[in-house]
Amino acid sequence: MSKYILEAVDLQYSYPDGTNALRNVNLPIHQGEKLAILGSNGAGKSTLFMQMNGIYRPDSGCIKYQGEEISYKNKALIELRKKVGIVFQDPDSQLFSASVWQDISFGPLNLGLSEEKVTERVKQALIDTETTDLQDKPTHLLSYGQKKRVSIAGVLAMEPDVIIFDEPTAGMDPRHSQEFMQLLNSLSDKGKTIILSTHDVDLAYSWSDRLAIMYRGEIIAQGLPGELFSRSELVQHADLTMPWLIETYNELLKKGWILPSTPLPKSKEDLFKIIPIKSGQQTA
Amino acid sequence: MIAIDSYAYNNQLKSVHPSEKSLFAIMTMVICITSPTILTPLVILALMAGGIIVKAGIPARVFIKLLLIPLAFLLISVVTIVVTVSTDPSGLWLYQNLYGYTIGIHYPDLVQAVHLFLKSLGAVSCLYFLALTTPITELITILHKIKVPYIITELMVLIYRFIFVFMDTAITIRRAQSSRLGYVSMKSTYRSISQLFSALIGKMFLKSRDLYDSMSARGYTGEIRVLTKKYPINPKNYVIITVLEIFLILINLLWR
Repeated sequence: MSKYILEAVDLQYSYPDGTNALRNVNLPIHQGEKLAILGSNGAGKSTLFMQMNGIYRPDSGCIKYQGEEISYKNKALIELRKKVGIVFQDPDSQLFSASVWQDISFGPLNLGLSEEKVTERVKQALIDTETTDLQDKPTHLLSYGQKKRVSIAGVLAMEPDVIIFDEPTAGMDPRHSQEFMQLLNSLSDKGKTIILSTHDVDLAYSWSDRLAIMYRGEIIAQGLPGELFSRSELVQHADLTMPWLIETYNELLKKGWILPSTPLPKSKEDLFKIIPIKSGQQTA
Repeated sequence: MIAIDSYAYNNQLKSVHPSEKSLFAIMTMVICITSPTILTPLVILALMAGGIIVKAGIPARVFIKLLLIPLAFLLISVVTIVVTVSTDPSGLWLYQNLYGYTIGIHYPDLVQAVHLFLKSLGAVSCLYFLALTTPITELITILHKIKVPYIITELMVLIYRFIFVFMDTAITIRRAQSSRLGYVSMKSTYRSISQLFSALIGKMFLKSRDLYDSMSARGYTGEIRVLTKKYPINPKNYVIITVLEIFLILINLLWR
């Protein structure tokens, strides 16, 4: 067995209209990791995701699942989609049924599970996404954030090993996006591999184990978040900005408040901890 | 239409098994249409009004407003049946001479028209009962269960869902247009509407492609299979339905 659960190898893809969407993309994904893909609009993140569960077929190169090149035969595709789930950016193009319950049951039923099993999974997915009280409402009476959570439940109910989220927090209010990040963490604790795309640099930096930066259909860098963000020319080139945590850290370093040996803070709490108390001041 | 839809999800009969409600509405409608007396439609109208207003808890004004919608059509058809224009006033119950013509009413025509009017209104009230208490998604499930070809039920599922998606899109576009004075004159209104529709068609193609992709991602292989919620079957309701229907049939039989 390969050490990568999913891997993009020399992926080339252009849309039928000739737009070069992916250029020579190589991206290994480790089992159980939290990978964030950063890139501005139109960088090719969504296109790459469509490759990862076989919706688009590459012009050249391939996608490997557990070291094996994926096949585009119907049966094999269903197997793949059982393992790799995608939550799309726009819930209105993912929810096909007006009934929350029916929509969530669609995926697991396609896996050929029994009705009892599907009912169980739908219920669990409703609990995990806190949508239990929405189950009798029609999708068109839900708010954007609620629709988003239902569309996430629809993928969770399939219990895939790898879950891909395309711009998951776009359009969510702060409270729900925070809860969503907790949901991601708990999924990750259960051993799921999670890939998400975003252009929120703060979120990508704090949350991810590993980071890939896409720019115009290419992956221009991948590695640990702290390392990538220390290269400011790279961040600028990809039309991104620095996470505020790193900017603050750099400023504190420059003005001598902290030593160069201080580790990069991963969260707000980390940062507050490394800020020293001013001499002569009483501890609060 | 949107109001009917939201009441369907929010009424006191929501938890009643959709088959029971459909059975009640359809059977009553059949009895109403086949009734030989004007008494049955009146009883049915009262029954449905009670069901909708008292049982389902839908405001009376909503129900009355809904009944007013078919009223215009009904009145036109009633008038054409009732009013006779001829040159001979004999046999007319009420008439008026105008420029050598006689405009009048035959008494049997009047009875027939009133009967037809009440029958239609009664039948419409049955449909309103169903539409106001049962979500479309549940009705589609029933159609599926009674072996309506799945291509039809699947299309219904998708059409129903996308009516709302496209309506939202259309509302957004319209708002954007009117905020830039797109509807100030007749000319700009025509132009704005045509642009709205062409934008909408473009969006429809994109959305349908996205939908297909996202459904494929969840293992769609050509048949939409979903699990429907189980409703408790209530034998008491079946008894009530049977008693009511027998009662209505008896009225039909006895008041010929």
